[in-house]
Amino acid sequence: MARTADGIEVEGTVVECLRNATFKVELQNGHKVLAHISGKIRKNYIKILPYDRVLVELSPYDLTRGRILFRYRT
Amino acid sequence: MNSAHFTSGMGEHAVVITRVAERQWHAVEDDRVVGRGDASRRPDGRIFLSIDAWHGVVFDQLAAAMLPDLPKPLYTVVDEADLDLTSNWERAGFTTRRREWEYLVPTDPRVTGLGSVLPPSGMTIVAVGEAEEGPLGKLDREIRDEVEATVGWQEMPAEVLPRLDGATLLDPSKYAVAAQSDKYVGLVRVAPVTRQPRIGLIAVRSNQHRRGIARALLAHVLGSLHRCGIETASAEVNESNGAAMALFEGVGARRASSNLELVLR
Repeated sequence: MARTADGIEVEGTVVECLRNATFKVELQNGHKVLAHISGKIRKNYIKILPYDRVLVELSPYDLTRGRILFRYRT
Repeated sequence: MNSAHFTSGMGEHAVVITRVAERQWHAVEDDRVVGRGDASRRPDGRIFLSIDAWHGVVFDQLAAAMLPDLPKPLYTVVDEADLDLTSNWERAGFTTRRREWEYLVPTDPRVTGLGSVLPPSGMTIVAVGEAEEGPLGKLDREIRDEVEATVGWQEMPAEVLPRLDGATLLDPSKYAVAAQSDKYVGLVRVAPVTRQPRIGLIAVRSNQHRRGIARALLAHVLGSLHRCGIETASAEVNESNGAAMALFEGVGARRASSNLELVLR
């Protein structure tokens, strides 16, 4: 886990695509968060699928919420 | 860069919106970035925006700082199922310009019914990766010109591949083509995304329409994917493109989601 001025960033794995444009992501520490995708990912039509390894920024207001910033190549 | 101060942050501190680069904005609260805005220009010249914020209030503050500084029209893309984000953009004045359906396309010939589909007489399908770059580039330019002369590329899904000086960067490893004698007349582009490849473009020269060429190209690529053990591919189709929707729905593709392209004029 990395805490920067940009927020708390942590790697995880997508375990489920939910209906309302959110994803359930299991973090490296075993916690699960609900995450949206970032605007840049959406603008570039990058698809997020179950089992994708992703970088998630956690909300500073609610650590069970996050935003997928990056999808790692598999 | 210029900054704007807002006193209605989510916490005890004021939110400060700062333009940190020509096309990037940050919302900072208590030395922490709590929102980001970005503007980027597509190859077709249009400017697309994105705003990431944890709360609608900060979204509105970023939009208020960004929109007056950018030339209109401005565009963005949202997942139609993301109601909060869609309403955020609508609050900023954006309206729906068009809808793209994302289809999940089965590859199994027993499902698609494409197992016995052959190209029209006198035509062959050149497999993915085996097309010659020169004729492929020529076909791509001809199809681009035909599309631009009719509906225009702004109406095509996700046309974000870079073009340099009017030339097209083509990677033959992503294309299968339909060939008649020594001339290419149709193409399909398949992005080899792990687990779920994406059919990015399927197009046939206008003087070759209604001959079953697109269906033959689709049969070829879906059959190839199936033999590699891949069960589904994805494809985005503009809602106004009835022929493309009929092509995919005719092989058993189902709608999985939809994206809205929003515009602020």
